[in-house]
Amino acid sequence: MLVSFDWLKDLVDITAGPEEVADMLTLIGLEVEGSEQLEGDIVFDVNVTPNRPDCLSILGVAREVAAAFRRPLTIPETDMNSTLPASDIRIEILDSDLCNRYTGRSITGVTVGDTPEWIRKRLEKCGIRALNNNIVDITNYVLLELGHPLHAFDADKLEGSIIKVAKAGGSRSIVTLDEIERNLSDATLLIWDAKNPVAIAGIMGGANSGVTSGTRNIFLESAHFEPISVRKSAKALSLRTDSSFRFERGTDIIFLENALNRAAMLIQQVAGGVIHRLVDSYPVKPEYTKIDVSIRRVNEYLGTDMEKGEMIDILERLGIEAEDRGDVLNVKPPAFRKDIMVFVDVVEEIARCYHYTNIPVTAPKTTLSEGVISIKEARIRTMKQAIRATGFTEVLNYSFMSPADLDLLGLPEQDIRRQYVTLKNPLRQEESLLRTSLIPSLMHNVVYNLSRGSNRIGLFELSRIFEHRGEQLPREVLTLGGIYLEGRSSFLWKDTVPPFFVVKGALESLFEEMKCEMYEFTPSTEVFLHSGKAADIYFRKERAGFIGELNPHTIEKMNIKIQQPEIIVFELNVDLLLTVIPETIAYKPIPKYPSIERDIALVLSDNLNAVEILRHLEGFHPDLIERVELFDEYRGKNLPENKKSLAFRIVYRAPDRTLTESEIEPLHNELVTFITGKTGGALRGQ
Amino acid sequence: MDELHELKKAFQEELGTVAGLEDLQKLKAKFSGRKGKVSAHLKKISALPPEKRSQFGSTLNEIKKFIEKEVIQLEASLKAEVQQKRLQTEFLDISLPGRRQLFGREHPINQVLTEAKDIFISMGFDVEDGPEVETDYYNFEALNIPKDHPARDMQDTFYVSEDIVLRTHTSPVQIRVMEKRTPPLRIIAPGKVYRCDADISHTAMFHQIEGLMVDTAIAFSDLKGVLELFIHRLFGKDTPVRFRPSYFPFTEPSAEVDIGCIFCGGSGCRVCKTTGWLEILGAGMVNPKVFEMVGYKIDQYTGFAFGLGIERIAMLKYSIDDIRLFYENDCRFLSQF
Ligand SMILES: [Zn+2]
Repeated sequence: MLVSFDWLKDLVDITAGPEEVADMLTLIGLEVEGSEQLEGDIVFDVNVTPNRPDCLSILGVAREVAAAFRRPLTIPETDMNSTLPASDIRIEILDSDLCNRYTGRSITGVTVGDTPEWIRKRLEKCGIRALNNNIVDITNYVLLELGHPLHAFDADKLEGSIIKVAKAGGSRSIVTLDEIERNLSDATLLIWDAKNPVAIAGIMGGANSGVTSGTRNIFLESAHFEPISVRKSAKALSLRTDSSFRFERGTDIIFLENALNRAAMLIQQVAGGVIHRLVDSYPVKPEYTKIDVSIRRVNEYLGTDMEKGEMIDILERLGIEAEDRGDVLNVKPPAFRKDIMVFVDVVEEIARCYHYTNIPVTAPKTTLSEGVISIKEARIRTMKQAIRATGFTEVLNYSFMSPADLDLLGLPEQDIRRQYVTLKNPLRQEESLLRTSLIPSLMHNVVYNLSRGSNRIGLFELSRIFEHRGEQLPREVLTLGGIYLEGRSSFLWKDTVPPFFVVKGALESLFEEMKCEMYEFTPSTEVFLHSGKAADIYFRKERAGFIGELNPHTIEKMNIKIQQPEIIVFELNVDLLLTVIPETIAYKPIPKYPSIERDIALVLSDNLNAVEILRHLEGFHPDLIERVELFDEYRGKNLPENKKSLAFRIVYRAPDRTLTESEIEPLHNELVTFITGKTGGALRGQ
Repeated sequence: MDELHELKKAFQEELGTVAGLEDLQKLKAKFSGRKGKVSAHLKKISALPPEKRSQFGSTLNEIKKFIEKEVIQLEASLKAEVQQKRLQTEFLDISLPGRRQLFGREHPINQVLTEAKDIFISMGFDVEDGPEVETDYYNFEALNIPKDHPARDMQDTFYVSEDIVLRTHTSPVQIRVMEKRTPPLRIIAPGKVYRCDADISHTAMFHQIEGLMVDTAIAFSDLKGVLELFIHRLFGKDTPVRFRPSYFPFTEPSAEVDIGCIFCGGSGCRVCKTTGWLEILGAGMVNPKVFEMVGYKIDQYTGFAFGLGIERIAMLKYSIDDIRLFYENDCRFLSQF
């Protein structure tokens, strides 16, 4: 709401300067978000919260200024001469639940013409375009000044000297003042003449009855419309006006008469004419709230130590009646303060005028609580620490995805990731779905960074994905996703680890750091991964995610300039991971006796899986074989085609004695026979 | 005896030809090894006449000691020579970079989120969690924002259906927690929230921390105490804090909390729109209507709630002027934090 300081001074006798007034308004809850010097005046931009429709006017703001500075308020003269000619217009309210009061005045013999400059200037300073139609501009002037919307009809265009207030009742349309045909629903409240709708109540008048340069006689409306009905209609019509904005927040059913009179008098002053007697239909009278407010409770609630007299003083300055009943005040808010309904509303009034800054600062007197990080929080922190320690940087992407992202992955129709949540009102089509995978966002991050010269890229994100399972709310799964592209190394000291194993190693380190031992990598069939370089990750037989190189076909769709890039991605269900971490750590004694190590190199068929062989070796004699390490893999020269060599180190150890060479010798020979038999391989070099 | 003399002479001659440690090892084996010349002579003792044995033995022993001493001396000087040579020939360009362990960075939003969480945790708050896709009931109705209420204009909402929304604030977690727990309550709920609005200071997704404290005698002054402590821990203990009235349907009285502008020190600048103050969070006493919604007795409990935007705090902390930078994920941006 734009407020001219000059105009404000018409209504309240201010001695303070504009800056001081702005600061004060902010302190009592009418935040001045900015101010602008305009033609020797200062215009405040006041943020009026939805609970304070009474402040959507110069008068409303002036009332607050008067209360805060204890200065007198000057409400414009609105008393009318009682000997006026009668009006020939009759009012009939058919839907009195939607219109509690409808008043109006006929003004005959007006001259529609230019608007005086002082009115035009004030309108424009406060953000309303002057139309150079003195009648309409004056209704807007009063709307700004007193906060009550008014409407002027060309009385000669109304059929049958009657104003009816009734719902549309069936579908029909009306052409509004802005020359747009509006389709109305049944429930829209309308103003009718004897035959036709002439205005959408509280929102906009009809073109058929508008005041034009030829208008001679007008009927000026000032009414009260039910807020929710106005809001629904305005929303349905996508038509928000200065008038509907105020009606949907609530208007003053009593003061509307003063606004009507003020406008009539201004019109007469500017456009001439004869004002007629008030016509007033007032089927529903306002109910006043009375609230008992305990002095002690106010102080307990705020943590203050205020005197009763101070509270009464504040309330009275705000125009709120407060009857002293000993320990209790019986409080009666005025009609324009519909927001004050219960005890806490009164507390707020007292607090804001006492100023929040004067309320003490205390520590809560409440039960002590532990102040510890929950296990889940701690584990997630460990996880993030571990993934960062392996060189991955965290990104945060929007939770949205595009339908094209699913095609980017080439997911088949029945894939679970196509069970997504769709937004009804996305900002852009590319952000119309909720993510069912973190991978597309991470792929976009890579494309973005490559095009900006980044080279080696290792990124991770920890966010929820949303699986639509047909229930009311989607399943939100905390997911860790990552992407890795080695690029040209800009490091002096080169590593030559295949990228897949860089990332797999990162995950293994992560699992180790989290004390998670129950994992397994098995070949994956994810369509967007390279079929020969992809693994599914299982925790205790439950699939928790995947790791793999992006399929060349998928990479092609990314449109990046590098030749045959190897991009590794992974995704992991963190909720599942957190279930397989042991609650406690049990210490295992450090071995007392020395170990004996033996290496064997096996020449094996190329398609044999190293982990299986490792398992066989470990299982051969679990009592004496402490562990088996795979320390070399070799293919190529000196080996037959389709063969590879794997070298294992077997660590023998007994928990209760020192093993001797002579004890190990036969055991190891047996192991060699066992494993060559099991795998069809041979010892290398034999 | 001459043969012993010859032995010594032979050793001395050969010692003179030793060029390195390897030669010395050979010489050592040849003379003092198990099968060396000294041992060979030692074996001859028994064949000598008894009167000569003692003389022969002691001379041989002297030669043996002499050889050992010479070998040790020469060994020491040869080793020193070798070490000296290594020191003279081996060197690194110590200006070359080391092999760094690449440590990934945490996203600045999460850094600030963690910092804020830790402050509240240290003040005894528990961390709670709620869904990002919410029902209209939890996101609005239970928070005293009925359908067709003007307060709905305060937030631009993403809709999944008539009754399902992307949560516009973390406040629904308040309701979910109060539904399952009874006071005393001291919780925070960090997380992502969504508004359909995007420009230089708004993104469609951002992060909030919701806070809630409920007990039998919580006052507005306690809200001031807790939030002032938090702000002082986050921005420094000399940061001015200002509480001023505002409006949220789920709190009454409601407050907006400002800090003294950290860019101009309060004298007024572009960032604070010349006011000297920066809005940092919204708060208030829990509206009794909200307590009624979750079945708490309104004459028994009071409490306060607050919500702060993490992006806003991160922007202030790092002097970032465009919120969208957080979600572009440019490595050159992320690597700075
Ligand atoms: Zn500033």
